Amino acid sequence: MRLIFYSGGEVKQNKNLDDVLISKIANPTPQMTYIPYAHYESEIHFKEFVEQYQIYGIEKFIYFPVDVPYDQILLREVLKSDIIHLSGGNTFYFLASLKKHKLMPLLKTFVKRGGILSGLSAGAIIMTPSIDTAAYPEFDCDENYEGLKNFSSFNLVNFHFYPHYKNSKRYDKALKHFSKKIDAPLYACPDGAGIFLDDQQLRFIGQTACFYQGKKFILNK
Amino acid sequence: MRRIKRSVVSTKSANSYHRFKQINGIHPLQSEVPGSFVKYQARKRHGGKVAFFNFNLAREVGLLNLDHQDQINSDLEKEILNTFSLLIINEYDIINQTPIEKEDILPNLYMATRYLQLQHPGKKGRTSGDGRSIWNGSFTGTDGKIYDVSSCGTGATCLSPATHLEKRFFKSGDPTISYGCGYSEVDEGLGTLFFSEVLHKNNIATERVLAIIEFPGNIAINVRIHQNLIRPSHLFAHLKQGNHGILKSLVDYYINRQENNGVWKNIPKGEMKYEYFLKKQCEIFAQMAAKFEEEYIFCWLDWDGDNILMDGGIIDYGSIRQFGLFHHEYRFDDVSRFSTNIIEQKQKAKYIVQNFIQAVDFIKTGKKKSISFFNNHLELKEFERYFEDYKTKHFIYRLGLNKVQQRYVQLYCKKDISEFQKVFSIFERSKSKRGPLKVADGINWSAIFCMRDVLRELPQLFLARNKFINDEEFIEIIRSSYATKNDLKLTPIRRAQIKKFQGLYMKLADSVAKGLGTIRCRVLLEISMRSSVINKYDRVTGDSITKLVGRLMNSRPKLNSSELYSLLDDFVEYQNLDPDTKLKEKRPVKITDSKQLRPFKGLLRIVRDCREGI
Repeated sequence: MRLIFYSGGEVKQNKNLDDVLISKIANPTPQMTYIPYAHYESEIHFKEFVEQYQIYGIEKFIYFPVDVPYDQILLREVLKSDIIHLSGGNTFYFLASLKKHKLMPLLKTFVKRGGILSGLSAGAIIMTPSIDTAAYPEFDCDENYEGLKNFSSFNLVNFHFYPHYKNSKRYDKALKHFSKKIDAPLYACPDGAGIFLDDQQLRFIGQTACFYQGKKFILNK
Repeated sequence: MRRIKRSVVSTKSANSYHRFKQINGIHPLQSEVPGSFVKYQARKRHGGKVAFFNFNLAREVGLLNLDHQDQINSDLEKEILNTFSLLIINEYDIINQTPIEKEDILPNLYMATRYLQLQHPGKKGRTSGDGRSIWNGSFTGTDGKIYDVSSCGTGATCLSPATHLEKRFFKSGDPTISYGCGYSEVDEGLGTLFFSEVLHKNNIATERVLAIIEFPGNIAINVRIHQNLIRPSHLFAHLKQGNHGILKSLVDYYINRQENNGVWKNIPKGEMKYEYFLKKQCEIFAQMAAKFEEEYIFCWLDWDGDNILMDGGIIDYGSIRQFGLFHHEYRFDDVSRFSTNIIEQKQKAKYIVQNFIQAVDFIKTGKKKSISFFNNHLELKEFERYFEDYKTKHFIYRLGLNKVQQRYVQLYCKKDISEFQKVFSIFERSKSKRGPLKVADGINWSAIFCMRDVLRELPQLFLARNKFINDEEFIEIIRSSYATKNDLKLTPIRRAQIKKFQGLYMKLADSVAKGLGTIRCRVLLEISMRSSVINKYDRVTGDSITKLVGRLMNSRPKLNSSELYSLLDDFVEYQNLDPDTKLKEKRPVKITDSKQLRPFKGLLRIVRDCREGI
């Protein structure tokens, strides 16, 4: 299973993560699929996504919004991709759309078959057991305007992910508190940092904070 | 992700709103073409409030400073109401000596312009024109251009059909008669507002709504702006009546305005300017007809040249629609007659050009010849050429090719693009076997294929597979909700058409790649990115605008004018289907503003649900 968690930030900040991601592709003519969190204005972000990875020589990209009806034909091509990328955005809306269209089992199968699933911010949170961190802390969280009640998500890993982390007392206090409520580590990455998981092997790219049972540890200093 | 709103607080100087003062009834037509309008005194109309104000438009045309915030302050509201909240003193008021406070009477006269309308008795335009509108005047914007301003719902004029059918003058707001009462409604204004702003964003010429002033009982004055509000029907009324002097003055006036506004350049002097005018009008109307057909815009054109502006801009959104599929059999039911359909628009546009030919000949010779005398005029052949040329250009654009690729296809792939257009058209024009059906406001014989879907998805599938999709997949992508099982049968002919469609598509991509020194997948990627914008899944239709306005009307008590403006601004941006502007926008990678979708949710769902409709 190969997963990559991007926190966020500008393209140049994420170069190290991109390098790792691309190095894992064996196919000489790889195909990447971009799944935006919402159809709304996502064409712009798709173009940015293409530009981000075109420099690695990738030529085949699929744009696949999931909150509008789609046909099975394109979905079949999506699932044949080498990499599927889940974009940033509103985590609740994104998860609700994936669940509504029953895409989660298909994406899990994609990962089990060797496909690389990458996610940025909301897209990264969605790969974890639940999207609780999207609702936390109160001063910096997504709005659950979909009224989503079940926060359980892909559960592809046994840790939680917190993107756009800022190394401050305010965040630390909130995340320590949060970590007491869960029985798995919470990895918090600032923009430009992230995590790569390759067959149970975790690799932290950029400085990452780990919050576990009310304590904070700095990884990859 | 939300567009950055103006947060700069306006420097509210005493003369921030001085341009409003120019809009006072006075208009150049009054001195240049007397006889082209009926004059009315007007009075202040109390009790109105500003339901909507178009800040973007006001800034663009210079009515507001560029740094003005998107908020109505008391000074601005006062200025808007002083300028536009008015009611004409009409014939009924004069005959019945309606009591009017002296201080309410405005100093200048306002025009209700005369133009031809075929629904009027006589059909020569002696009694027709602005039935419930007046021209507020004109002003010079900060860009140096002159803008016309008119308002709908300012009282019943003597040019309304009701006056002549019933042979009496009506009191403004007379509840016994609807259209002839001279009033307009808030939902009409909102419909025009949303539709016109979306079309304007997508490079379709149109009048635009500046303000909606609301009165109790859903009554409204809808203020609209355009660089030149002259319609062909303004000219044709005087052409039909043989008023050589007024016709010539109107054409001169129109040419001058186009020149002064920098729209037309290097206009020859003397009589040659009329030839120039004719060529321009021919080109404008051919392009307009082609664009309407390609963009599925239904505009009820007829020989009177009423529902369109001289510059090809849309005016009067009462019967304007944009179809989701090519519903070319749809006809609007106007009680006494059915409208033209979208394909017939071309012939009507061509006939309007024939009227221009007749008008120019009349101006030059002083003798009015029969319209049929010009049946074989050279300019009509030019119309055909312009129409086909522009239709092809726009078709190539719709495919998603960028500007360089478009140019290459126009120059070097003429035969292939022509063949592709033909096979594309077969699918685009395919109709349901169910036959014609009644719809809410007319009749339709539903189209069954959504060409926008195939244009959006095919390049992605070709890019992924590097080979054709099978026939069943093709039909699955292209089918609309209007198609029955019977409509979708894969006959040998249809299979051959699918093969031809894909073959020519791929051939064009290969030609472009080879001709421009690149590879097929790069061309397909470029197409797929642009096509995802041009052929967006959910484009507005006439149905969606109607429903959207209904929803807004229900939620309006909670929406103030600034919130309505904000909603419109975001909605229009969402409906920007121009990849050349859309894809250039720079947005932050991190998207956390979860509020961005909430105000739209309802509106987006409507657009989505109605996306295949009329």
